[in-house]
Amino acid sequence: MLRFEQVSKGYSGGFVALDRVSFELAKGEMAFLTGHSGAGKSTLLKLISLIERPSAGRVFINGVDLTGIKPRQIPYVRRDVGMIFQDHRLLMNHSVFDNVALPLVIEGFTGRDMAKRVHAALDQVGLLDKARCLPATLSGGEAQRVGIARAVVNKPPLLLADEPTGNLDPDLSKDIMRVFEAFNQAGVSVLVASHDLGLIARMRYRTMTLKGGRMINDGLLHHEDSE
Amino acid sequence: MSILFSGRAVGATAAQPNLLQKLLRGIFTHIRQAITSLGELWRSPLWTLITVAVLGVSMTLPTTLHLLVKNIQQVSRSYDQSFEISLFLKNDTTPTEISTLVTLLQGDAQVAKVRLIDKAAAMSEFKQQSGFGEALAFLDQNPLPDVLLITPKINQPAAAEALMQKLQKERYVELAKLDISWLERLAALMNLLQQAVYTIAILLLSAALLVIGNTIRLSIMDKKTEIEVMKLVGATDAFIQRPFLYTGIWLGVFGGFLAFVVVEVMLWWLRSAIATVTQLYQSDFVLNSLTMQEFGWLMLIAVLLGLVGSYIAVRSHIKAIEP
Repeated sequence: MLRFEQVSKGYSGGFVALDRVSFELAKGEMAFLTGHSGAGKSTLLKLISLIERPSAGRVFINGVDLTGIKPRQIPYVRRDVGMIFQDHRLLMNHSVFDNVALPLVIEGFTGRDMAKRVHAALDQVGLLDKARCLPATLSGGEAQRVGIARAVVNKPPLLLADEPTGNLDPDLSKDIMRVFEAFNQAGVSVLVASHDLGLIARMRYRTMTLKGGRMINDGLLHHEDSE
Repeated sequence: MSILFSGRAVGATAAQPNLLQKLLRGIFTHIRQAITSLGELWRSPLWTLITVAVLGVSMTLPTTLHLLVKNIQQVSRSYDQSFEISLFLKNDTTPTEISTLVTLLQGDAQVAKVRLIDKAAAMSEFKQQSGFGEALAFLDQNPLPDVLLITPKINQPAAAEALMQKLQKERYVELAKLDISWLERLAALMNLLQQAVYTIAILLLSAALLVIGNTIRLSIMDKKTEIEVMKLVGATDAFIQRPFLYTGIWLGVFGGFLAFVVVEVMLWWLRSAIATVTQLYQSDFVLNSLTMQEFGWLMLIAVLLGLVGSYIAVRSHIKAIEP
């Protein structure tokens, strides 16, 4: 589903965010990406969603080399990758429904067809009753779940989350992780970047650890390893 | 269309719509975006008003000047159509010679019409119009010459002038007269005025273009985060641009209509003043307002300005916003 081959990313000024990172995420697999701030987690996710391009190496999604994707084609790649952000990035002056519907509107859905899918996505994250609310009236956990609903509304095969629980308390974080688990069980490949090591260790999924841009650990993370 | 997953049914293509459905969906999306942009204008009413006002005023001046030129042309056209050469015949020309001359001239390819005003007719006309009626009765001999009024076939100053030169040489002609120099001057002045209208229009409209571009730019900056989010969830540049282009079109529609209203009000105001003047000059001059076609042009130019202005802003600024 997702494959990194010796991927490096350097920024002008000599800072190396990623240093020859290689890994593969199988179809239907769920994995965590962890490491301290500045370890390169966000950079890695940005390379998948084509916000950034690698300085060296290649990134493949479903066997397609992203190096060959032209700027014109980037929007279409992003439609296949659901993205969730720490600050959830909702449009504050639009209702929850409109926010979740955005990817569908972009793809040309209209009317009942669109409403049906939006309601299904909101139902999956347990926010069906909040469809008419504005994001400002939601709690942090609810807003994050709206972000998830928006990411999954067009049923992408791959889901990326960048610190989805960064602003949430432990209980809410666990809820959010359960939502990801549910999507994974439905067959979606999920990659979650998080520095919440305790939570990750308890979830018992494959965990990749980045440090200074290098992959230092790939496998199950045990609670006692995490400091 | 999915680039990464060839088998994946994505978006609106999932239901395999036929061409008509696709077309209807496209039209629906456009209408929705157009209406949304209209709503967006109300969110920043001040900038909308300023932009519409600038556009309206910029279009009012050239439109007014255009109407001025049009109305003057209408006045001068009535003169244009009456190029007439007066041939004053020699006093000793006999009626037979005159009728020969008339027949001869009627056969001329350059002459459209010949009208004879003989001495007697000229005298009675003069008596009537001059107010010297009684004094003229004391004359024992009619001092007026026979006159032939020639209408040339080609209604142009140069052609009429040439014809006059030719007729001047006719045997019985004492004097040929064609008063066109003032018409030529008027035509030259009108031409100058028209050029001025174009120049002023171009200057004002480029200013309006910049103002529209700036308004759209501000609107783009205002929606920076929204545009970033839309790019993140896979919106193409074209999709993001469209609402701003529609905003430009709406600004054009309102600006053009404002110009139309201002011009109409101005004409309505002038009309009574002009009526007084024309009454004094016993003229049947009517002030022409914009025709339906000219209104169409006005709106088209305004909408194009809005569209081009927003396109310039959109081209340079939407690409620059990247998540």
